[in-house]
Amino acid sequence: MKEMLNELLMEDKTLIHMPFGGGYFDIYASVVVSWIILAVVIVLVLILTKDLKVHNISKRQAALESVVMFLRNLISTIIGEEAGGYTDYIVTVLVFIGLCNMVGLFGFTPPTMDLNVTIALSVMSIVLVEAAGIMKKGAGGWLKSFAHPMAVIAPMNVLELVIRPLSLCMRLFGNILGATVIMELIKHVVPVILPAALSLYFDLFDGAIQAYVFCFLTSLYIKEAVE
Amino acid sequence: MSLTAIGAGLAAFTGIGAGIGISIATGKATDAVARQPEADGKIMRLLLLGCALAEATAIYGFVVAIMIILFA
Repeated sequence: MKEMLNELLMEDKTLIHMPFGGGYFDIYASVVVSWIILAVVIVLVLILTKDLKVHNISKRQAALESVVMFLRNLISTIIGEEAGGYTDYIVTVLVFIGLCNMVGLFGFTPPTMDLNVTIALSVMSIVLVEAAGIMKKGAGGWLKSFAHPMAVIAPMNVLELVIRPLSLCMRLFGNILGATVIMELIKHVVPVILPAALSLYFDLFDGAIQAYVFCFLTSLYIKEAVE
Repeated sequence: MSLTAIGAGLAAFTGIGAGIGISIATGKATDAVARQPEADGKIMRLLLLGCALAEATAIYGFVVAIMIILFA
């Protein structure tokens, strides 16, 4: 057990060891895998958005439009009218996290299993939430909003600045790590058939749900911040 | 090593709370959908939010258990 955990968590994650200035610049495997995901997404976007028309649309454009509308609708119902401008950023994060979680299907290690990636994502989220609050209310109104229901709970509101990103990043990391650990254990015990069935649940379903939950909570926080 | 294993096992008890929480949430959501089938979209969203928050405790327990095994 401990060896397996060590293998998953403690191993040297460096993939590229690049000379940089006087020393070395390490690039982690998670970064390289997310580069691959980004490249795939960019190529897909370039192919799918080629010659879009207003009338007489092709099947490809119809499919693309329905997917984009579905994703935007998913987020904009949560985020509300007032903060609707942030929908596209959150949809982008949703697609990225979703693909990151599912990349285990193709034999890569999911980048979201690296704590650095989830910390970066959750810090981006909390910065966006607070920036949305400042843009809406101004710096003074934002500071006042810490004492919103009453002044007594202001310390709790300040603590939330730390707790929210911490729980966001730990939830994503823990879920993906947990799924990977369970899959490794099952592959150890039953090497055929059963892992394929369970990987449907742990890679596809759990990955999609966790990406949705991350974006759901981020948009909920933004909605709360601009109210 | 034996005490480490006991500690990690104790940390896994957080799963009880998450299980009870998620089962209550799902039961109530089923009730709500049975009563008002037209509101299932809204109920589904709230259910997912509640499940995500309830499940977080189990995940914290899992992270603590892994920390105990690795660093103790």
